[in-house]
Amino acid sequence: MTTAINMNNETAFLADLAVLLETSPESITEDYPLNDNNWDSLAVISAIAMIDKHFNTTVPGHALSSSSSVGELLGLIRAQQPRA
Amino acid sequence: MSATNGGRVRATLKGIASWLPERVLTNEELASVSPKWTAENIFSKTGIRERHIAGPEECSSDLAVNAAARLFESGVCQPDDIDFLLLCTQSPDYFLPATACVVQNRLGLRTTVGALDFNQGCSGFVYGLALAKGLVESGSARNVLLITAETYSKFLDAKDLSTRVLFGDGAAATLIGAADAGDDLIGPVVFGTDGRGAQNLIVAKGGTRGGPASDAPACPSLHMNGPEIFNFTLNTIPPLVTDLLEKTGVSMDQVDHFVFHQANRFMLEHLRQKIGVPAAKFHVDMDSYGNTVSSTIPMALESAMRRGRIRSGDRVMVVGFGVGYSWAASMLTVL
Repeated sequence: MTTAINMNNETAFLADLAVLLETSPESITEDYPLNDNNWDSLAVISAIAMIDKHFNTTVPGHALSSSSSVGELLGLIRAQQPRA
Repeated sequence: MSATNGGRVRATLKGIASWLPERVLTNEELASVSPKWTAENIFSKTGIRERHIAGPEECSSDLAVNAAARLFESGVCQPDDIDFLLLCTQSPDYFLPATACVVQNRLGLRTTVGALDFNQGCSGFVYGLALAKGLVESGSARNVLLITAETYSKFLDAKDLSTRVLFGDGAAATLIGAADAGDDLIGPVVFGTDGRGAQNLIVAKGGTRGGPASDAPACPSLHMNGPEIFNFTLNTIPPLVTDLLEKTGVSMDQVDHFVFHQANRFMLEHLRQKIGVPAAKFHVDMDSYGNTVSSTIPMALESAMRRGRIRSGDRVMVVGFGVGYSWAASMLTVL
């Protein structure tokens, strides 16, 4: 059974993302920047695991690595279909 | 070959011995290169504390010969018993001849053996098991020596910590022999290949594409697109496990051990949870040698057998995946 990408999944994902980015959940807005200081190869690998866990999908690696904000990241996720 | 007690000739795993180069590269040493990394951070992200690195003059054949010598020392077989040598490497001593021919001579194997190299990475051990099974069960060979040997360190850019933290050099020698049994002791095997991923883990220089070898840099550099490799793994391995279970006709509960290619601990732990394998059945054994490419599975098997964690009669699923993309999974029953 497939599950639609929904707000509950996003809330849980953003909570995990806050831990990864070492910040508080309240500060994670769509404008929150992803840059050389917090978005290195290991952070991207961790994010792939979180996206798989919460949305059962994958986002192209290059697009993920070059995301510059949390909003851009969410846009990429919303554009994917969950696996069958 | 004929069976003697109602079964038929089945290929089976008879022994494994591994070998690591002497030089150890620790997390502390790697962390000292870059202020962005700490030794503990490297361990928490990869599950690796140290890896072994071949010396400047130490090549895959040297590692292969040492691993095979350990196998012979164990008493499981002697050089004269070997009918076929399969050598899996992506870092051969030479373009030609095959490293397997060099190793045949150095090990003193009979000149009547067959010997060949095959070029696969993290899937190589499972491919080697499948080839050895074919040789044994067709009656072409009674004892097959499968050696996996890599010196990826020679491909790594000194400044690329993302790959230097992961890869270690090493070799494993595995004996696949004949047994009389009713059921498969190796197999079934499920294979997969998708060359669309070729560019995501590649040593692009040093071969014939892109100019003559004389223009190649002294040290060809390995490029790894970690995110895409992880995506490939997440999309491919869970259905591969399902396919193998269906082909074998057993449930997850009936498998005693799961030994996956030891890529890195973080990725393995995520895969384990996604597939639903109990932690007690899932082997993670890479902290003291890292990702040794085609040798991670035999090294983990050898370690688990030596410690009595894998015992006679146990059913073990082995899963290899990576560079290519290439993947394969099989079921082993330990005699």
